[in-house]
Amino acid sequence: MADLLNEIKAQIAGAKVTAAKQNVGVIREVGDGVAKIEGLSDAMLNEMIDLGNGVTGLALNLDETEVGVVILGDFTQLKEGGEARTTGKLLQVPVGKGLLGRVVNLLGEPIDGKGPIKSDKTYPVEKTAPGIIRRRSVNQPVQTGIMPIDAMIPIGRGQRQLIIGDRGTGKTTICIDTMISQARLNKAAELAGDKDYRPLYCIYVAIGQKQSTIARVISVLEQAGAMPYTIVVASPASDSAANQYLVPFAGAAMGEWFMDNGMDALIVFDDLSKQAVAYRQVSLLLKRPSGREAYPGDVFYLHSRLLERAARVGEKYGNGSLTALPIIETQSGDVSAYIPTNVISITDGQIFLETDLFHQGVRPAINVGISVSRVGSAAQLKAVKQVAGQLKGDLAQFRELAAFAQFGSDLDEKTQAQIDRGRRIMEIFKQKQYNPIPVEIQVVVIWAAQNGYLDQVPVPRVKEFQNKLTEYFTTRKGQLLAKIEREKELGDELKAELKAAAEEFKQTWK
Amino acid sequence: MKITKKAKREAKQLYRFCLLNGLLDENRARQVVQRFVATGERDCLPILTHFLRLVKLDCVQHTATIESATLLPEDLKTIVQTELAHRYGLGLTTAFAQRPELIGGMRIQVGCDVYDGSVRAGLEALKRSF
Repeated sequence: MADLLNEIKAQIAGAKVTAAKQNVGVIREVGDGVAKIEGLSDAMLNEMIDLGNGVTGLALNLDETEVGVVILGDFTQLKEGGEARTTGKLLQVPVGKGLLGRVVNLLGEPIDGKGPIKSDKTYPVEKTAPGIIRRRSVNQPVQTGIMPIDAMIPIGRGQRQLIIGDRGTGKTTICIDTMISQARLNKAAELAGDKDYRPLYCIYVAIGQKQSTIARVISVLEQAGAMPYTIVVASPASDSAANQYLVPFAGAAMGEWFMDNGMDALIVFDDLSKQAVAYRQVSLLLKRPSGREAYPGDVFYLHSRLLERAARVGEKYGNGSLTALPIIETQSGDVSAYIPTNVISITDGQIFLETDLFHQGVRPAINVGISVSRVGSAAQLKAVKQVAGQLKGDLAQFRELAAFAQFGSDLDEKTQAQIDRGRRIMEIFKQKQYNPIPVEIQVVVIWAAQNGYLDQVPVPRVKEFQNKLTEYFTTRKGQLLAKIEREKELGDELKAELKAAAEEFKQTWK
Repeated sequence: MKITKKAKREAKQLYRFCLLNGLLDENRARQVVQRFVATGERDCLPILTHFLRLVKLDCVQHTATIESATLLPEDLKTIVQTELAHRYGLGLTTAFAQRPELIGGMRIQVGCDVYDGSVRAGLEALKRSF
């Protein structure tokens, strides 16, 4: 006991009392998720502010005499005259593989009831995008498993590909399909022990969506076995505007960790139109000057600084990548509105989805004519390029001829054949949702279509032919498919084998 | 009352007139207000309201509040005043107050800066760390 007392005495004698300097302010105004604080002369932009009662804010407006703060939590507990203090910290979120399979909120806190997240690292939510020295051009494909995309609008790892369309045209479905496809490829590579395969992890950022919609997406991902490779970051419609505006940045920070550590990740922002609306609300509440459609002047910068964080970095810097699939919802197909044009100009290409096509039964309802991938072809597999190289042009020609044929004029044989081929290609591009097609099957089907194996098949039976052909190759020609997947290029020998197999199938097709 | 940007700008100009060597001169402030009221300008009320706010903020910025659990001895008060004047310059008004809930130690606030060396702050920090 005497030893303990002596020890405590010694500790007290050696103790050094210091009073750290703190910067404080007084809450002058609070409401609608925004607070005005007088004082806080040392506050930094984007610094976390401790507002008391366990509530945190983010300093967004630094004025001469006051600081505008967005509140990240329950602002009903805050009162005018309350004390606020700077923390010296930027908004940070946990990062790492511990987040895979989890559903988290803006702050990286679990909202799936599966207990705490195992992560000891954090990343700032706002981070400067990789510079030009660190970057390299895309050279590895993202296999979405969606035939028209992989064939005609290919996406590379590190690319930013916009998915744009009206409500209910299948924008989210395309992203979910892509995530399911990645999970299948990751799992297959894991089972095969393929060490050369670079798994692509997915991050799904839900912005301002209904809770039921988010629950449905999670359930689809769970059913497809994609959750172990996916992080869901959610800020539903019931969240404050500040949370909805910040959540894509939190998701990007989680994705950047994979990129910085030499891994590949894909991030889906569903959707940035809602984020822009949330940012407009925050900006108006902070009394920032408004511009076109009442959006603040820096709404372009909001999206550009977010999407610039998606990149493919060079081998010297880890060879990682972050691919971004931002979604924009248009009103009545108007792609010339403010936010859509901004995001179109920022991204490396766009996939347009049309309501008319959707109602005609063309699903995914991709308008191939105006959809484009500016950099993805560099990453496209050679085998796909070989079979699908002419497809876009052929389809463009088909659309023109089909429009002309509507007048009922007589057509020469060649034109009629082109129209027939186009109709069949349109049929094979129809695909069920949540059912991505492996790339080797895509190669076989498109090769068959390009080499006239579908020409004798009536258009209403094309899908049936395709399914049977797929089944035939999967069950009987597994080795050939594996060869295509391995060689990634159609050589003369492979073409001959394909031809023999297709001929064999044709004999059995009735 | 709506205070326009123009009113804020003019109030800021008035405030600048009242500064003498970087410090607010009380006599000038009084004169400025008297003369401005006398002119009977249309925006007089919002301008003076904002001017009042700026003066208030200036006062807060140049006031040091020293709180302690017990009354401080005179020699310690002098030491604290000298140290503060050394750190924040001249023109600092100091006010001493007794706050038993601090338990021990001292809490000094100068404008937005707070130096909390009280026992209570220490206990709260300890509580947060658990």
